[in-house]
Amino acid sequence: MLEALMYGAIATLLSGTVLPLLYRSKNIRKTSFGLSLLSSILLIGFAGIILYTGKEPVFPVIGFLPGLDFTLSADRLAAGFILLIAVVVPGVSIYSIEYVEHAKSEARKSLQTALTNLFVLSMLMVVLAGNMVVFLIFWEIMSISSLLLVMHDYSSEKNKKAGFFYFVMTNISTAFLFVGFISLFRLTGSPDFGQLEYPAADLALPFLFLFIGFGVKAGLVPFHKWLPYAHPAAPSSASALMSGVMLKVAVYGFLRFLLSVSAPELWWGVLILTAGTLSALFGVIYALKENDIKRLLAYSSVENIGIIFTGIGLYAIFKVEGLESLALLSLTGACFHAFNHALFKSLLFLCAGSVVHATGTRKIEAFGGLVKKMPVTSALFMIGSVSIASLPPTNGFAGELLLYQAFFQSFAVTDPLITVFLIIALSSFALTGALAAALFVKLFGITCLAIPRSEKSRLAEEVQKPMLIGPAVPAALCIFGGLFSKQLLSLAGLEIEFPDLLLLGILLGLIYTALFMIIRSKETGPARISETWGCGIPTLTPYMEYSSAGFSEPLVMIFKSVYRTKILNRTEYFDDQESLFKNGKVEIRLLRFFEEYLYTPPARAIDIFSKYVSKLQNGKLDSYVLYAFLAVIVLIIATGGFI
Amino acid sequence: MNTSFLLFALLNPLFALLAAPLYMSLIRKVKAYAQGRKGPRLFQVYYDLKKLMKKEAVYSPTSSWVMRFTPYLNLSTLLVCSLFVPLVFVPEPAGGLGNIIVFLYLLALERFFTALGGLDAGSAFGGMGSSRSMSLAAVIEPTMVISFAALAFVLKSLNLHQMFALTAGKILPISPTLVLVSISLFIILIVETGRLPVDNPATHLELTMINEAMILEQAGKNLALLELAHALKQFLLMGILINTILPVGLSTEIDAGKIAVSAFLFLLKAGLLAIIIGLFESAFAKMRLFRLPAFYVMAFFFSATTILIEVFA
Repeated sequence: MLEALMYGAIATLLSGTVLPLLYRSKNIRKTSFGLSLLSSILLIGFAGIILYTGKEPVFPVIGFLPGLDFTLSADRLAAGFILLIAVVVPGVSIYSIEYVEHAKSEARKSLQTALTNLFVLSMLMVVLAGNMVVFLIFWEIMSISSLLLVMHDYSSEKNKKAGFFYFVMTNISTAFLFVGFISLFRLTGSPDFGQLEYPAADLALPFLFLFIGFGVKAGLVPFHKWLPYAHPAAPSSASALMSGVMLKVAVYGFLRFLLSVSAPELWWGVLILTAGTLSALFGVIYALKENDIKRLLAYSSVENIGIIFTGIGLYAIFKVEGLESLALLSLTGACFHAFNHALFKSLLFLCAGSVVHATGTRKIEAFGGLVKKMPVTSALFMIGSVSIASLPPTNGFAGELLLYQAFFQSFAVTDPLITVFLIIALSSFALTGALAAALFVKLFGITCLAIPRSEKSRLAEEVQKPMLIGPAVPAALCIFGGLFSKQLLSLAGLEIEFPDLLLLGILLGLIYTALFMIIRSKETGPARISETWGCGIPTLTPYMEYSSAGFSEPLVMIFKSVYRTKILNRTEYFDDQESLFKNGKVEIRLLRFFEEYLYTPPARAIDIFSKYVSKLQNGKLDSYVLYAFLAVIVLIIATGGFI
Repeated sequence: MNTSFLLFALLNPLFALLAAPLYMSLIRKVKAYAQGRKGPRLFQVYYDLKKLMKKEAVYSPTSSWVMRFTPYLNLSTLLVCSLFVPLVFVPEPAGGLGNIIVFLYLLALERFFTALGGLDAGSAFGGMGSSRSMSLAAVIEPTMVISFAALAFVLKSLNLHQMFALTAGKILPISPTLVLVSISLFIILIVETGRLPVDNPATHLELTMINEAMILEQAGKNLALLELAHALKQFLLMGILINTILPVGLSTEIDAGKIAVSAFLFLLKAGLLAIIIGLFESAFAKMRLFRLPAFYVMAFFFSATTILIEVFA
């Protein structure tokens, strides 16, 4: 039964990939998205059964290479992440039915459809992988299919650069994973994932490599730079999948390793928590300054990944301290937040896609007044903003509440140094939450409210039905997941003391209705419509409104030192007294700290090195034969040393 | 749900709703005396609310449902909040109501929508208010969370009801560290209710306003709802501070006499606190916007110290 569900899901996704490649027609693309929708229903059944009953499916082992088997497996952790894939895919599929038709040519439309299905399939298989080799194979397919999606509009120079950047970063991630897995293999002698009963000192090397490898893919600071490049280039449906699901697959990979370690060390937890907190804080601070809607959302993903890693870090610390219940609480918080982020970030990317489609620009400064032009999209956008700002009673709040509870109860930790560290982490976590609220007031307020700021936004029209139903799915789940968070947690068998958000939601709703009724019944006349007060100016123009850059200015001033803004002011004068102005130049430059100090130096070094290496390639066959011969000799000597 | 909680759910919001505007007036009165004026009558805020309730709402043609939705949502959020802070007696906790983090985030919900309401009319003043309010709220948030964490640390619970069940009946704070937390709570009270030196509630110069700028475009009934929500927020935060530093008289039993004494004592204590707030406001000038983080750090310091003392003790 269980196995059949999974085979069905794989088969539907595979046919969803192959069909649009064979036939290029609108109906086939529709069928293809219908198939991915069907597969996610099957997957929900599959994951639901495993999570609820704890029964694990048995997949046949296929001989694949000598000494290596093709194995699949799914425990509760994997089932959780399969469920995560399965709840995001329906919204994206429905949305894409219409969205994909806006691509430039027939071939691109079909290719995008096929790639979307392949991407989902590869992510599913990564989670299902039973050993390291299978994991890495599908990991690479996942990277490549997402790369092709990022490059879908390959004619633009900017997209090419974005694609290249993403390609390099994803390969760095894979390289680290390779080393991590190989060192793990040398320790255990088996490629299978299993309980790691080794002293933490032996596992330090695999831990570091896997942490960096998965961290790059998940977008932890300082490896986050690929996100703000790749997302604006990718189609919005692909962004939704990448941000919503692919980043979580990296989280899954890391959890798979971390949870199998029986005795982690304290510094692991401290390292993960530090990286998580910093990512969360820097992610949101950079997002605040951003004026491109998709880049802003990309930075916000960095923030949320940071929050997830904060939870994982807490788990590790509490586990070392022997506080099992708090460790469970933080781990649940991290996983729950992964779910929530998958939902609201896919919702927000889909809405952003609709807005960009309707206005033809990604600049927030050019939006405005969309709440009247695109009422449904705006309402969905609002739900996403409220959830991501983690306000009650949505799911975003429920996830953060779990982490807050873990933090607040950390007085059980006896080590004073750890307590001090946790206080710092908690205050930074709180700052992140509040900055995220400010960020989404800005994003929603400037995008949807007040007077349209440009002609494009004044002429915007509501998008077609599939592009409204698509995001409505995650939006409904955001509210459901928040209201029923307590019930969902107990359904998953987690005994956690948690406030009943359903009660809170009902109370809010009841009081709201009662207030509304009371005030309505006392209404004496209709509400008056009158111009906004503009200090005597007859009508307001868009130039008088608050802008996106203006909105974030106070925070930009407060966090000046983080942005490293350089203001250069060069003025020339005709006279010595500097009173007659000749000409001048004022420049405000944003120092791209990570790019200039962290990414460029190694890139330059590689450039110089490869100039020497390229001399080897002289185009003569005999010298190539010589290289091959030398390589064989070196190999014999090197491996001989091991034998 | 138990009977004690149901009774509480009826009495506490009602008490808060009725008493909250009084302290808005009282603070104004104290400030007026400090400035050598006579000031408005003690019940002026009630008259104002009554007058506003009779007037129709005025909307800008650029505004949307957000502006119409915000006043109702704010007052309902604050009414739910009033179930979290025991003022008249401490009930047995039920359904996670009273969770301190939920309380914090309900306040954030209120702030989020007020800020959106400020942007909705398209006025630059509203935008400025929203921007400043969200920025300052972001900077105070770590302090708020750390202060509440310190409170949870000292009183060993996440639930305000359980915390105050512990302090109830005592005359003085149960631990000296609570005095430190109270200093932080006082600063939070000043910041959250938009008082000097952070924001000036009496100003009519648009450029210096924060909270008032956001509700500048609201009128009539909607304005009344927002004012009431604001008064309620102040009253609840005062309640947390009073129950922490001076819990004398707070009842844990359902007994008509005890509840009455408890409510009366609370009104007196709140009066005292309002006088202190009024004098505090009179003693300070408004700070420059970008100097404020330094003011917040002070509150942060006291709370962090509390946690450290508790850990090392």
